[in-house]
Amino acid sequence: MPETEEKDFKCLRCSAEFKLPYTKGVMQERTCPKCGSNSVRLDRKKEKGAPAGEKK
Amino acid sequence: MMDVGRHPNIKLLTNSKVEAIKGYVGNFDVKVLKKTRYVDETQCTACGDCAEVCPVVVPDAYQQGLSSRKAIYIPFPQAVPSASLIDMESCLGTNPIACGKCADKCDKKCIDYDAKDETIEFKVGTVIVATGMDVFDPVILEEYGYTKHENVVTSMEFERLLSAGGPSDGHFIRPTDRQRPKTVGFVQCVGSRCEKIGKPYCSNICCMNTIKDTLLLKDHYPDIQAKVFYIDIRAFGKGFEDLFKRSKEAGVQYIRGIPGEITEDPKSRNLKVMVEDTTSNKIEEHEFDMMVLSVGVTPRLDMPEVQQLLTLSKTPDGFFMEAHPKLKPVDAPSTGIYFAGCAEAPKDVKDSVTQASAAAARAETLLSAGKVKLEAITSTLDTALCRYCATCSRVCPYGAFTVDPKKKTISYIDALCKGCGTCAAECRFGALTMKHFTDEQIVTQIDAHLAEDPGEKVIVFACNWCSYAGADTCGGARLQYPPNQRLIRTMCSGRVDEKFVLHAFRKGAPMVVVSGCHYVDCHYIDANRWTQKRVEKLWDKFEKWGIRPERLLLEWISAAEGQRFQKTMQDIEELRKKVTKEEIEQTVKILTEEEEKDKAKAKKKQADSPTKKKS
Ligand code: SF4
Ligand code: SF4
Ligand SMILES: [Zn+2]
Repeated sequence: MPETEEKDFKCLRCSAEFKLPYTKGVMQERTCPKCGSNSVRLDRKKEKGAPAGEKK
Repeated sequence: MMDVGRHPNIKLLTNSKVEAIKGYVGNFDVKVLKKTRYVDETQCTACGDCAEVCPVVVPDAYQQGLSSRKAIYIPFPQAVPSASLIDMESCLGTNPIACGKCADKCDKKCIDYDAKDETIEFKVGTVIVATGMDVFDPVILEEYGYTKHENVVTSMEFERLLSAGGPSDGHFIRPTDRQRPKTVGFVQCVGSRCEKIGKPYCSNICCMNTIKDTLLLKDHYPDIQAKVFYIDIRAFGKGFEDLFKRSKEAGVQYIRGIPGEITEDPKSRNLKVMVEDTTSNKIEEHEFDMMVLSVGVTPRLDMPEVQQLLTLSKTPDGFFMEAHPKLKPVDAPSTGIYFAGCAEAPKDVKDSVTQASAAAARAETLLSAGKVKLEAITSTLDTALCRYCATCSRVCPYGAFTVDPKKKTISYIDALCKGCGTCAAECRFGALTMKHFTDEQIVTQIDAHLAEDPGEKVIVFACNWCSYAGADTCGGARLQYPPNQRLIRTMCSGRVDEKFVLHAFRKGAPMVVVSGCHYVDCHYIDANRWTQKRVEKLWDKFEKWGIRPERLLLEWISAAEGQRFQKTMQDIEELRKKVTKEEIEQTVKILTEEEEKDKAKAKKKQADSPTKKKS
């Protein structure tokens, strides 16, 4: 079982920054806690070395 | 069961396992392993003489392990076929110790220790999945002390203890002293509605099961005191409220609060609980001779096997996903497969029978018609362009493609295609096109929308079932959203090809929105996961190219979320206003250059492989 960890995410709609659970290789529906958008992106600046995109 | 067993048109294969199902609606090839019973079921009269002489004693699963059975046995009184079978793992057999007592005793000579399993293959047109459910095992909830305190039993064990055919012949006794308890406590929602253990759903049946149990208990033993601890009682079915009332009238006390822990008095073996009654806000202590954990329903442990056999999908609660929760609650997403009972979701007998009847009728309608109408919007494969990369077979939620990259073969069954368009969006070689919602149609719409004042417009790709319907709901409710947002409908957001998004930006769109169904609502099992993946990749590319990823948004909006649609579109309009003319021009320049680079690369590749067919 891949490990689930908290990672930094950023909302592309309202720019809010927050932490969400992240499991490598598992697609998840992510929602911004502030504006409700699903344009939620792994914050690469904070997550240096994070893999590009998730595998399905 | 008897009726099914006797029906001339029903072939009942018990003690069997489906090993493989291949094919599609109307053409399923099924392979079944029929395990041997070691007893000729056509000759056995279920007299039980064999079991009497069998020396092996093992726990009886049907009686929840509260009593025992023999190695040769009939699983339960109403079993069909009514014939014995041998549990070979427990049987002493004839080797190395010569037992063979049952075979000697059987006058009809039905027992054959050397009988072998049999593999049967046949064709069927439709499949009904009625694989049932498992019951939650409360051992992991240490606070309730199940198996630690013997007088804590599950609702299943309680049923057996109260049953005339049960381990105590219908005499209700508690396990430690085999005396009739005077007080019994029931704890509801054990393994249901609990996020902590990953069971957030309501098991649907436990409230009514407990109400029924308390009525049975009071009917048999009016002097027994019964108390039920609950979160809320869900008695919503026909006649259910009446049963609930009768239970209260019979003297059963209902306390709104769930005990945190069950402790045992080592001397009396009685059980104690502390509970906050949320109707009075008081902490109370209760003592019982016996406690019953009203255990919830869980998906079967072997569900992944069935899921793989039929390429089914699961909802987040772990049960099988239906084609549509409201409009197609009996159908699996793949045509010709239906659900009955708890395989799809926890349900009681009445609902299971209703769904089973519906599933039988759905299957029968299809079979008697003799032919199936296919979706008009399916994918078309041009094998001449295919490079056998197998992307399509990975992304198609219905398994319509089988690709062997080594042998360079591809097979496509259009009867399996539901028309989501994900394969066409993902195939990098143009080998897949859609009938309707073609590339040309979509690109033409983008061009038309952006022909005038492109900088003022927002291109919104909306899926037919959810976000487009959400826009309708928004309009129907007279909720205003900015008029410069231009919707382009696709059947699924999975159809939104990367090239459509890039084309829109190249044509001067300040913002592009890709919208679709929430994960649980996706009408094409999980096609929208590929949408998200594609958008995430585009964000990365944009960043690399120096385009703000914020200009491409991903939004899941359901058909009912008119207000969410409005709010999303209003927010996006504010973001659009911040995109400057210079930024748009810069984007057009970057993307045009990238397109040129891609074209040059493709040309070079083609020149390097002159033997390759047209591409
Ligand atoms: S994705 Fe396209 S190229 Fe790849 S195997 Fe499928 S049809 Fe062929
Ligand atoms: S991915 Fe979608 S469009 Fe393509 S074959 Fe499968 S169901 Fe049809
Ligand atoms: Zn946000």
